[in-house]
Order: sequence, then C-alpha cells, then structure tokens
Amino acid sequence: MNLPIPIAVVILAISLSLSQDGYKEQREKMVRQQIERRGVKDPAVLRSMRTVERHRFVPPGSASEAYEDGPLPIGYGQTISQPFIVAYMTEVIRPRPEHKVLEIGTGSGYQAAVLAGIVKEVYTIEIVPQLGTSATTRLKNLGYKNVKVKVADGYWGWKEAGPFDAIVVTAAAEFIPPPLLEQLKEGGRMVIPVGSPFMNQNLMLVEKRKGRNLTRSLMPVVFVPFTRQK
Amino acid sequence: MKASYTIYRVHLSIGLLSAALIAFQLALMQVLSIVQWHHFAYMVLSVALLGFGAAGTFLALLRERLLARSATIVPALMLATGLAMAVLVDAVQLPSVRFDSYLLFADYSHWGRLLVTYLVFFLPFFLGALAIGMVFVREAAAIGRIYFANLLGSGAGGLLALGLAWLFIPARIPALIAALPILAALVILPRAGRVPLALFALLTTGIMVWKVTQPPILRPSQYKDLSKAMLLPEAKITMERSSPFGLVQTLSSPVLRYAPGLSLVAGQAADVRLAAFVNGDWYGALMNYRPGDTAMVLDYTTMALPYAMRPRERVLVLRAGTGTEVAHALSEGAASITAVEPNAPVLSLLQGSLATASDSLWYAQGVSVKEMEPRTFLLMDTGHYDLVVLPLVGTFGGSSGLYALQEQFILTREAFGEMWYRLREGGAVVISSWMDYPFRNPLKVQATLLEVLRDLGVRDPALHLAAVRSWGTITFVLTRSPLSPAEVAGIRAFCDRVQFDPLLLPGLKGEERTFYNELGDPRFFTYVDGLFSPKREQLYEDYDFNIRPASDNQPYFSQYIKWGSLERLAGFFGNRSLPFFEVGYVLVVVTLVQVILLSFILIVLPLFRLGWRGGGKGRTLLYFSGIGMGYMFVEMILIQRFTLYFGNPVYAASAAITVLLVASGAGSYLSERFGEARRCLPLVLAAISGLLLAYSFLLTPLLRATIHLPAVIKGVVAILLIAPPAFLMGIPFPAGIAQVSKRGPEVIPWAWGVNGCVSVVSTAGATITAVELGATGVLVLAAAAYGMTLLAQVGRGQES
Repeated sequence: MNLPIPIAVVILAISLSLSQDGYKEQREKMVRQQIERRGVKDPAVLRSMRTVERHRFVPPGSASEAYEDGPLPIGYGQTISQPFIVAYMTEVIRPRPEHKVLEIGTGSGYQAAVLAGIVKEVYTIEIVPQLGTSATTRLKNLGYKNVKVKVADGYWGWKEAGPFDAIVVTAAAEFIPPPLLEQLKEGGRMVIPVGSPFMNQNLMLVEKRKGRNLTRSLMPVVFVPFTRQK
Repeated sequence: MKASYTIYRVHLSIGLLSAALIAFQLALMQVLSIVQWHHFAYMVLSVALLGFGAAGTFLALLRERLLARSATIVPALMLATGLAMAVLVDAVQLPSVRFDSYLLFADYSHWGRLLVTYLVFFLPFFLGALAIGMVFVREAAAIGRIYFANLLGSGAGGLLALGLAWLFIPARIPALIAALPILAALVILPRAGRVPLALFALLTTGIMVWKVTQPPILRPSQYKDLSKAMLLPEAKITMERSSPFGLVQTLSSPVLRYAPGLSLVAGQAADVRLAAFVNGDWYGALMNYRPGDTAMVLDYTTMALPYAMRPRERVLVLRAGTGTEVAHALSEGAASITAVEPNAPVLSLLQGSLATASDSLWYAQGVSVKEMEPRTFLLMDTGHYDLVVLPLVGTFGGSSGLYALQEQFILTREAFGEMWYRLREGGAVVISSWMDYPFRNPLKVQATLLEVLRDLGVRDPALHLAAVRSWGTITFVLTRSPLSPAEVAGIRAFCDRVQFDPLLLPGLKGEERTFYNELGDPRFFTYVDGLFSPKREQLYEDYDFNIRPASDNQPYFSQYIKWGSLERLAGFFGNRSLPFFEVGYVLVVVTLVQVILLSFILIVLPLFRLGWRGGGKGRTLLYFSGIGMGYMFVEMILIQRFTLYFGNPVYAASAAITVLLVASGAGSYLSERFGEARRCLPLVLAAISGLLLAYSFLLTPLLRATIHLPAVIKGVVAILLIAPPAFLMGIPFPAGIAQVSKRGPEVIPWAWGVNGCVSVVSTAGATITAVELGATGVLVLAAAAYGMTLLAQVGRGQES
C-alpha cells in the first residue's frame, strides 16, 4: 500500500508523539514504583530520573524495555544499569548543584545524563572507544552541555579536572584504583558497583575522612532476611 | 536391494561412523566451551544427542521403505552426516543464529536462536544415528558384533578427539572429523547406484577439505573474560595453544592490572605483562617478579595475612595457576615452595616460551613444580609445610554459579583434613574468598573450616581460626597450633597498616570488625558467629542458600542453590537476576526439563502412531530404560572418581571412557550367546546390580588405598575395576535387542528409541543426582536401574 507522503508524515508524527507520551508515563511509573518505593528520596535525583529519557540510551531494539526494572545489554559486554541502581548510586554520593563529579565507565551515557541534571559539571571516561564515541554524540545531540566525555583508561582518572566532590564508578573492577582516591576531595564520596553484568545489587561506598578511607558495603535490597523465620 | 560387500566392511563402516560421532561430540563441546561456557555446551549437546533417540523413532515409522533401499540410503546418510559436520560450526556462527547464553534471561529473542542452534546440532547426530540404526535393524541376527563395532568405534573416537585437540585449533577439528563418515560411506558403497553416491561423496569431500583449510572464526560471547579484555586499548592475543585441556591464549595490553581486593592505602596496582585465558575464561596474570623483591602488590591484599603472623619457610601452593602466589611466597622469604598445577599446557608455557614474562619464576631457587590435580597430590604427598595456600574462592561480585557443578575436591571437608596433617608445628592453611551478596562463599569457607576442626577433635576451634576482611575479600587462616599472642598481635598490626578489619580473632571486640570497612547488612556477623554455635545445624537448614560444607561424596563447593528458597529470592531480586545466582545448576535443570519434553515429542509420541503388536510393552520399555539409565549413571561416576585417582582430568576421563566402551564392546560381542541362553541374562543383570551396589561403598576406599602406587600399577587397577562391570554392562542391550527382534522387528526401534531417550535424560539426571545425593547415591540408583531391568527380564521370561 502506498500512502501519499503528507498523510504518511502526519501518521508518523502522531505515532511519535503518542510514543513519547507513553515513555513519559512509563518514566513516571518507573520512578514511583521502582525508585521511590525502594527508598530513594532525594528530590533532585527523582527529578532527574523523571527527566532523562532512558529510552534514548538503550539500543533501538530495546527501547520498549527501557523502563523495565532491570539492566539491559548495550553491546561490548556492557549493560545499562537497572534504573533503581542508577538512582541509588546518584543519591549515595549526595550530589549538590555546585558539585564536580567524575564518572568511570560512560557506557551509553545514561548515568552521566542523570548526574548532569543535578550537578554543575560531569566528567566521564570510557575505555571502549566505540561506546565512548557513541555516548559523546548522544549526549551532545540531547543537549547535555555540562558533560565532558573522554575515551581513556579510567584507572588514572582525570587529573587535570580534579579534585572531585564525588566519583561514580559504573564499571566494576577487582580493585579500587589508587589514583581515583587521590582525585577525591577530602570529605568526598566514591561509589562503585560490585556484581556480574546482570546482577549488580552490591554497591560499595568509599568516603575520604581525615586521611582515612572508609568503605561501606551498601545493599540496595538490604534487609533481605536470608534465614527463614520459623 | 542387496548389499554387495562383506559383513566385515559393515563392521568397519559402523566403527568409523561411531568414532566420528563421539569425536564430533567432544570437538563440539570444546568449540562451545570457547564461544560460551562448558555448561551451555552440555545443555546444547544433550539436546543434540536426542538425535540418537529420534532416529530410532524415524526408523520405526519408515522402516519398510528405508530398509528396502538400505544399501543406498545408509551410505547416503553417512555422507550427509559428514556434510553436516563440516558446515555446522559455520552455520551456528551466522549473525542471525548466534545466541549468547548470558542474554537468555535478559533478551528473550535469544531463546529462538537457541532453538535454531539445537536444530542445527541435532542434524549430524540424527543422520549418523539413523544410519547406525538401519544397520542394527537389518543385521539384527548379528547385533552383538555390530554393537561391538559401535562401542569399539566410540572408544576410538574419544581417543581420536584427544589426539586432534593436541594437533589442531578447535575450529578446524569438526571438519576434520567429517572425513570419517565419508570414509565410512565409501567402505560400503554399493555397486548399484554408485555414481550418484560417488558424486555426493566428491561434493562432501570438497566441502570438508575447504572447511579444514578455511576454518570458521570462532566468535565468543561478549561476556567472556577474553572478549572484555580484547576491548582494552592496544589489546592483542600474543600466543595461542590448543590442547585437550582447552585453548590457552595470552593477551597483552598496557592497561592490564592485577590486585584483587587491593587495600585503599596501596600506592598502585601491579602492571600485568600478560594475562592468560583458557577457553576465553580468565586463568591468571603474568606479572613482574624480580628475585629479591621484598614487597609486592599482594602484600596489600588480605592474602598477605599468614605472612603477617609469622615467617613461612616451606610453602605448598595448590592450583598455582600463573604463579602469583608462588611469587608472593618468594617475596615473603619462603625457602621452599611446591607449586601444584594440573593444567599441563599452561605449565609447559610458563616454563617455556613465557618464562621471561614472569622473570623465570618457575626456575627460581627453591621452587618445585608438580603437574597434577591438587587433591591427588595431597593424597600422595608425604611432605610437611608451614603454609598451604589455596586459590581465591568465588568471583568478583559474587559467583554467578559458573562453577556450581564443577567437582572441587580441594574444597571438601576431607581435603582440609588432609591439609591439616601436612602442616608442621605452627603451620597454617590459608584460603581467601571474594565477599559476595547474598553472602555465600565466605560463610561456606568458614563452615567448612569449623567442621574440619570439629572432625579433628579440636577442643576450641575459635583458637585455630583467624580471618580478616577488606572491602572486597576475606582471608581465613586455619592454624595447626592455637593462635599465639604474638600471632594475634601480628594480625592486628597488619589490619591497621592496610586498613582491613579482623573478622575472627581470639579476644575480638564487636566494634573492631567494622572500623575501616562497614557492612550495609550487619547480619553477616550474626551468621559468622552462628557457625560457631551448637545450633549451626539450624542455620544450615534455615539459610536460603546451601552453606553446608562440601564432602568427597558431594564435592560441589560452589553449589549454593536450595530449590525451596527460589520463590522467596525471586521476590527480592527479580526473576531476571535470579538465574545469575546459580546459572550453572539452573541450566542443568532447564536441560533436564527440555530433554524430557523433546524426547517425548520426538521419540515417544511418534511411536504411538506405529503401535505395538503383541504384549510385553511395559516390561520391554522398563528393560531398555533401566540399562539406558544405569549405563549413563555409572559412566559419570567412573569419570569423576578416576579423574581424582589419576590427577589429570583429560587423560583420566578419556582412559575411563575408553576402557568402559571397549570392555562393554567385548561384552556385547559375546552377548549373542547370552541372548540364546536366556537363563544367563538374569544372572548377568543380577551380577551388574550386585557389583554396582558393592562399588557404591567400596570404590572410593579402594581407590584411596591404591592412589600412592606407581602410574602403571594404577592403570592396571583402573582396568581391573572398570572392565568387569563394563563387560557385563555391554551384554544386556544387544541381548535384549536380539530377544525383542523375535517378537517382531517393529519392536526394535521402540527399544532403541526408549533407550536413547532415557540415556540422554540420564546425563542431566546423573548430574542432579550427584549434587543432591552424592556419588554413592548415583551408584546405588544405577544398581537399582539394573535391578529394574532384571525384574523386567524375569517377567518377560515367564511371559514367553
């Protein structure tokens, strides 16, 4: 069937606007049911999670699943984290509008976009060139002006731009890179996830306090009783 | 159409085809282990093997038509098998077909791809089995000798796969094996209709040669360690070596680093010269080691704990891998280090072309290397040590269940007991674990160490156990003597220096446990303390995961799943995440369910169309189900036990399978006599059942008592133990076929189909039984299966 071009354009526009509305609703539902209900309270974080269009940060084929309660593959063995994990990690670093935040592991750029809606500057590093390049383009096209992306080895951090008020490591490593600790301000907070690609429930918080590096294992789904009550 | 060749040619042809099918199965296993993981290989192949059963059914339905032209159809099927073998790996690598097991629970479209993969893998087994089945039916009168050729060929196929794995890269091997079915067809090429078959053979040979010279490029899952490492800047594979132990690859990249659970006061992580991978999975790092080094990166991990307590002169490193713990011991001043590592190709590389990459660590003064399974070494060794070092347990971020079904004989209660007796006064066993959530690995390690101390009759286990915790790892030390005040002081000083927290220590105060590293879920400490309590049995029972120590009978340390807890856990973590807790075991259960369903659809259901003339259906099916199940259960346990006995997973498994198949072949060769003398068959079945029952209690002690003997004598012991039951187990199938063929040839496919179906279901079933009931349970069930066959046989005897 061949439709006249103007009619096709109108149909496309209507369907696009309908789907955009659908995503907004899904986003609202995601925040209410997956994030607020699990205890994330910071208004700035919730606002940013409501604003950032997560479906633009997942592969086109996965857009319909973008607001579901789970991580999604983005290629190159990487995932975009579960929405709740992103919100929780953002809240844990206690972001303020004047903050400068470093992110290690840009991935699709979603975490950086969420941070960008709250803090003054976001510096993000991605080691996989393909992911770094596509995230740069995506963030630019979506109008995020306070995010700087660099394709490099995240181990060394971004010394020229440091020190940072907070560091978010989204790519789990078997160790916490010492140079990142050096680039964290006194009183600053660093959060890193620990887990397999589809199961990153375990998060680690590092705080720099009076020369001591204190770690705290955070369990977003904490208070799960692993022994059955009799 | 009458065949124009002798029966010996048929034997040769069946032998070649059988060898090809087994060798192909093993070659595919390796290819799938490289592109995915070994349990996915197992899952795919279980379904593919249904081809055997389905061929029986197909034959049953079209028997008249197929047999009428069998002289042409059998070689044609053999050639088609060869063709399928040659192109199969290419087919499943197509972008639209390639599935990723990690995505099965995240992207449901991959289930469709998996289904296509199943169908592709099913094909060569179906075609090959159909050819064998047709010969079985056609030559039913001489079934014993045909079955002998089948078993002998299968045994040779196992050895062939082993040899090929040493000589060729894994991608090339399936096409190479395709030469065998082509040869099998040429051996029995009939005079009539020779031209089209010869053309087909020519075409297949051409494609086979093309695929051997141009093997497919294997594309591993993007979630494999090697795939991820390949994304690092300037990453390149520097070396590749194929062997039956797996594909060893080394990778270099300037950004490779190693420091598991590094202290936050450490200046930097260690640069890694090369990283070693086996079948795409991380195997270890090759780091700088300079003789005389007194500081290394591992000093800033919890693994340094035993050296902080006292000097260690004689050190035993079990499963030494690429030698990081050997280098650590050297830097700590150990004078004598025994490194035990079972992976022969890795060892040979480390001592050969890669020696310079680790500063000739393996040639350092005081270092001696033993190429053997660590547990076998423990059983044979008579030395005494100041420190026994075990490899890090679990994976960063929690075990995803990849090792749930792997027998880990060095992590059983009995193994730790043996280590204890190898300790000198003041000596210690050290084992580290990644901190996981939900808590599993550290709790099971601690539970094991405590139960071992209780087994040994130690009055106060708390005085023999110390542990420290960093942000990511926990190291436990089990000491031969009670911890001295100096050792306790050393542990405290170590913790302060590197900002770790003591977890278990005499005189420990509660707040000391979280001075540097807090835990979000403090119940971990409740569980840790609960393991010391007399009510620990209750904790084992109530905890959502299986943290009961592993034993030699059930050596599955990483198997944490409790089926009763799954629903509750799914509620907390979501259905999508749940499979990643224990993906290995979950997939075996998925395999079992799908083979039961598919075998019913592909094998049993079509047979109903055929119908069954005459009586005795129930007993016949029981007979062939029993021998199918019994044989598979025995095979699995023999492989498991003899791997430990010989200390080499590859050769031991191959030797056990070969002896088993050859002895069974000999039994089947003689079965024609038993088939005639009906009284003998119940005796044979009773003997098998009795022997297996005896083995369920005696096999392990017998092997334990002779493990110290020289390899040649152990080989004789192995033959003496495997051959008698195997010989007898070779008799019931051909004898049974000979008997049912007298009822009517249409019963043979039923018998064969049901036997095939139960055999495949039993491969997954044996694994689950071994996990749940242990090796003894599997052998008792095997004995019961043959007992069931005996009852069926007695019933049939009375009927007739």
